[in-house]
Amino acid sequence: MDHLLQLLVNGLSSGAVYALFALGYTLVFSVLGVINFAHGAVFTLGAYFTYLLIGGAVGANGLLAGLQLPFTLPFPLALLLAGVGAAAVSLLVEAAAFRPLRRRGADPLLALISSLGAGVILVNLLQLLVGAESYAIPTSALGTLPAAVSLGGAQVRTVQLLLMAIAALVVVVLTLWLERSRGGKALQAVAEDPTTARLLGINSDRMVQLAFGVSGFLAGVAGGLVGLSVSIAGPYFGIGYGLKGLGVLVLGGLGSVPGAVLGGLIVGLAEALVPADYSGFKDAVAYAFLFAVLLLRPRGLLGRPTITKV
Amino acid sequence: MPLDASLLVQMLLGALLGLSVYLPLRAGQLSLATPGFYAIGGYTAALLSTRFPALAGDGALYPLPSLLLELVLAALIAGALALAIGGPVLKLKGIYLAIATIALVEILRVLNLNLGFTGGATGLFAIPQPFEGPVGYLLLSLAVLALVCWLCARLERLRLGRAMEAIREDELAAACMGLDTARVKLLSFLFSALVAAVAGVISAHFLNTWNARQGSFDASITTLAFVVFGGSRTWLGPVVGGLALTALPELLRPVGDLRLVVYGLVILLGPILFPQGLITPELLRRLRWPFRQTSAEAPAP
Repeated sequence: MDHLLQLLVNGLSSGAVYALFALGYTLVFSVLGVINFAHGAVFTLGAYFTYLLIGGAVGANGLLAGLQLPFTLPFPLALLLAGVGAAAVSLLVEAAAFRPLRRRGADPLLALISSLGAGVILVNLLQLLVGAESYAIPTSALGTLPAAVSLGGAQVRTVQLLLMAIAALVVVVLTLWLERSRGGKALQAVAEDPTTARLLGINSDRMVQLAFGVSGFLAGVAGGLVGLSVSIAGPYFGIGYGLKGLGVLVLGGLGSVPGAVLGGLIVGLAEALVPADYSGFKDAVAYAFLFAVLLLRPRGLLGRPTITKV
Repeated sequence: MPLDASLLVQMLLGALLGLSVYLPLRAGQLSLATPGFYAIGGYTAALLSTRFPALAGDGALYPLPSLLLELVLAALIAGALALAIGGPVLKLKGIYLAIATIALVEILRVLNLNLGFTGGATGLFAIPQPFEGPVGYLLLSLAVLALVCWLCARLERLRLGRAMEAIREDELAAACMGLDTARVKLLSFLFSALVAAVAGVISAHFLNTWNARQGSFDASITTLAFVVFGGSRTWLGPVVGGLALTALPELLRPVGDLRLVVYGLVILLGPILFPQGLITPELLRRLRWPFRQTSAEAPAP
């Protein structure tokens, strides 16, 4: 029983990461109908930003070898700033890879490739600057908080609680913002029909930037948290998470906030329940789920069917 | 010397993979399953040639009939898988199909990484060589590429090719015209699998080693980039895209550490500067290529 509880906690916390990831994708997808393949790179940058801001030093490789910021920020502040930095990068990606194509009304498929190009640039620039070694954000970053607490027999690491709490907070805030605020409604209007939204006086470009900014912020924060809970395994480490986030996104239903969360939790739990002897197959669980769900429900678990006009 | 025979072989294999992505795309289906079938081809070749001494023969070189047998078997396995999953998967549309096929590639990769007989993470090595040097591979891949190109060019004139085009333009309208869209889509998916599997067989021997990294998500997107970069409306587009983008990282070696950044820049700018790809039917018409016009299009004398 304790064992099961432990698995549940582990599953929920990694599910929270996937959900944060998928929420970032879903924001951009619901506005533009395109998947941003640079999202994983933005997540990676968020992790590195956090590492640097809490006072971590760059290793011996890369152009910035040995770099260390002259100040040390407390972890929560570093995480927030890393999120802001990641949001700025995400806006850059939008300006470079998405806007020129959108202006021309080009095939969404093209943005898939150009955003991939942006991701390749970011990841390799990062490798050039800080080298390929892995970094760990020390748990001492949490300050006086205990590293783990005992909860009904399960050892719950503080960072896991933090991940779950932040993911839950993000979902609530995001849903309220999308449903209740003027900005959120404007975003939905642009998602529904950009031309009509513009006629109604909504600045579509601004809304797209907003979606990219928020999605970059979420990715950056998720990156910092994963850096703390696992480690930063080199400039490419966001790609695996990015891919799984994509699977989670489609599993839950593209463009659906509750779907992204549900998908994340399902995949996180399913992975945690894979027996240790078969842990190598863990990575396939998300995709097997995805594959099965798509065949039964082609629009994902909570996706809305689109109606095609003829 | 950056542009040697080995690089040329890789470029030709890149062109084949580009065509493998292009074939379903001709029928409007964005399938990214190519690296999965490529991996199946590679594992078929690697397993047969390293685990069955009977196939290896007595000579110093791996016998060509055995290679042919590998090609046939790889095509059969990949084809059977394509037919088995194609039916349900091709009901998905657009980005959903793309992601389902990425999922397939990832499932295959994880299986290959963890199953015992595929050699796990280290994979299979010491794959016997049917040729003495890269020139043999060059000729073989050139011949295969020429054959596939010829078939693709023929396809553009055939009823099946035109049916694919019709589905790409408007699937609903094509179905209303009485076209069996499911069958046409399945055939295009099957062709894609066959081309990728053949490329995998050649590649496994050429690389001398095969592991799960050979068919990964990155490859899904890079092969798609071949098509988008080269142009998706004529078969020459993916060939040019595959050749160019495979060569690019090698040709950029003088740039040193920046080369992958430059590579990313090219992939970023390609779709923005050439939304139709480098090679478009209009361009070919302007260049009067192919020079020989078919009888249907040739002006009356």
